[in-house]
Amino acid sequence: MKHMRNTMKVAKWEIKRNMKSKSFIIGLFLTPIIFLAFFLLPDLFRSDEEPAATKVYVNDELGVYEQLEAAAASTEWQLEETQIAESEAEAALEVEEDAAYVFINEQSVENGKVTVYTNEDTDSGFMEEVQVLSGPLQMMQIEQLGLTPEEAGMVAQGIVFEDASVEAEDGGLFSEGMLERIIPGAFAAVVMLSIVFTGMAIFQSASQEKKDKIAEIILSSLTPADLMQGKIIGYFVLGIIQLIVYVAIILPVLLWKIDMPIMEYLLVPELAVLLLIAVLGYLLYAALFVGIGATMADISTAGNFQGLVMMLPFSPFLFIGPVFSDPSGFWAQLGSYIPFTSPGVLILRLSLLEEWPWVEIGIAVAILAISVWVFMKLAGKVFKTGILMYGKNATPGEIWKWIRA
Amino acid sequence: METMLAVEGLGKSFKDKQIIRNISFEVKKGEIMALLGPNGAGKSTTIRNIMGIMYPDAGSITFHNSKNKEIPRNKIGYLPEERGLYKNVNVMDILLYLAELKDYPKNRAKERALAYLKKFGLEGKDKVAVEELSKGMGQKVQFIASILHEPELLILDEPFSGLDPVSQELFKEEIRSLAEKGTAILLSSHQMNLVEEMADRLFLIHRGTKVIYGTLSEVKREYANFKCTINGVNSRSLLEGLPEVERVEQNGEIAVLYLSRNVQPAVWLKNLPAELDIQELSIDRISLHEIFIDIATDKNLLKEAGEAHA
Repeated sequence: MKHMRNTMKVAKWEIKRNMKSKSFIIGLFLTPIIFLAFFLLPDLFRSDEEPAATKVYVNDELGVYEQLEAAAASTEWQLEETQIAESEAEAALEVEEDAAYVFINEQSVENGKVTVYTNEDTDSGFMEEVQVLSGPLQMMQIEQLGLTPEEAGMVAQGIVFEDASVEAEDGGLFSEGMLERIIPGAFAAVVMLSIVFTGMAIFQSASQEKKDKIAEIILSSLTPADLMQGKIIGYFVLGIIQLIVYVAIILPVLLWKIDMPIMEYLLVPELAVLLLIAVLGYLLYAALFVGIGATMADISTAGNFQGLVMMLPFSPFLFIGPVFSDPSGFWAQLGSYIPFTSPGVLILRLSLLEEWPWVEIGIAVAILAISVWVFMKLAGKVFKTGILMYGKNATPGEIWKWIRA
Repeated sequence: METMLAVEGLGKSFKDKQIIRNISFEVKKGEIMALLGPNGAGKSTTIRNIMGIMYPDAGSITFHNSKNKEIPRNKIGYLPEERGLYKNVNVMDILLYLAELKDYPKNRAKERALAYLKKFGLEGKDKVAVEELSKGMGQKVQFIASILHEPELLILDEPFSGLDPVSQELFKEEIRSLAEKGTAILLSSHQMNLVEEMADRLFLIHRGTKVIYGTLSEVKREYANFKCTINGVNSRSLLEGLPEVERVEQNGEIAVLYLSRNVQPAVWLKNLPAELDIQELSIDRISLHEIFIDIATDKNLLKEAGEAHA
């Protein structure tokens, strides 16, 4: 009970200390703002170049304007009837921006050719788009052949090659079904990344304690375990604060910019499992950081060994390729069972898979939970001795000795 | 006097090297007990074992009022030898945090912190970041942190190191007044002269073992023989021929005669021969400082006496 209270005092202190530090506050708001800037800036630049709707003037001598309008409904055009003669079109285009003149007359139906005048400003995709107008004209050609409306319909329909492969239903990466899984997964990944990044400050905090030589004063009031746990909890809360700031700044923009029911997809039961994995991942990395931080006098003096351990949270990136190409394959399973890669790999896999492999998830989470426990114990041993070793780095040999002690 | 801390047969080794062995002493309520010794004698190791920062291989440590051997952390104030403060926080925040860790009420802590800052000439520095303080100011803040929560037992490891003489006096005065108010104080130092004036009892440690333990006057009576300093032109053989003289150190016209333990100064003075040239003469006990230097440099001036009484 007393230990819990001491742990909470340390946690509170770490939170307060960071919340009062300018660099933390700046970082807190800067990261989401930078994210938003990258998200929105291309949009801003694009909006200048984005073509206004192409003005399409139609000189219709056949009275099919209404059918043409219907056919053009899927385009961004501004369709308008005109009486300008073909000979005047070029002159008229010189004063227009992004416009085109289409002349439809008897000849168009007879030889299947429609004259279109465009200028330099006309949208580059226009000549492909304009083919949609061929439908009503084809219908006229067919009618002239004297077919019944049914026969005419058949001919006009043409032949379509239908894609009947198994995955067809799923559509692309961003089809509805996919989003339902990706959004919670992406959210869990953001949660984990933000608490892991904040958690890396634990490392800084532990080695700072050594550098400032305050550890012995603190340890005259509480045990090393209290201090270590307090740091881990404190930085967890800081990570959550960071996350709340992220969400508060980014989510409204996403909801406004992306036209999808994000919240509905986000708040699903699966999110709980994903968040559990994210939190376990944080605890595992936090144990690493706090232990390693206690062995180092200064970040600039980090040895190869410490550097290597610091890189472990990034190890899931090794699996990104194989997991994407086969989310249930050998590499994906392997990655789920290795403690350091498992949080990242699991979250990625579960975002991609339609059917969750619950047995695998169970085993992987169990391995993860046991690893958290083991690494907390090890970190505790390293921390206890390392934090008081002022002014020098511990060698891997020394660290091994503390662990065995 | 109540015993606040009892150390019994303490021993600690690193690898094969024994750092301290068979260290036993007590610290009583309201007294200043000095742990003295040259650098590397084992003072900090002893203290770190008491504070539970290291675990002894042998012996026991007993705190007054403590059940089941747990260190009563909230009732102890500790100023370690290797000390510092978080750099980027302000003075009041860190003082309150350290008091909170001791479960000391926040309002009282704040009040006392302000009073002590004023006392130590740091008035108005409570909102200043620690990194902006000078080294001396930092030491004062650390000292305040160690006494803010009104500890029953105060352990100060080399409290005077790095302080200027004015601050040393300030610390000495405060330590004395704390003892008068009933705090049990264990302080370590390698500066004998500083401690000589304030310690009630002392434990002299060298190479990890006890050399002297007792009250200041006991120690002086038992271990510090008389020495006679004579200023005058005298031959070495004449001086060495005087009764009760164990050793002569002569430097020009000044000679220091180390007298045997049982000498009676009045009688010895009366029996000095008439041909002795005396311009100035003084007789006093060897100072603790001299004893200390003697031990640290492994001269055997005191060793025989020490062994005879061990």
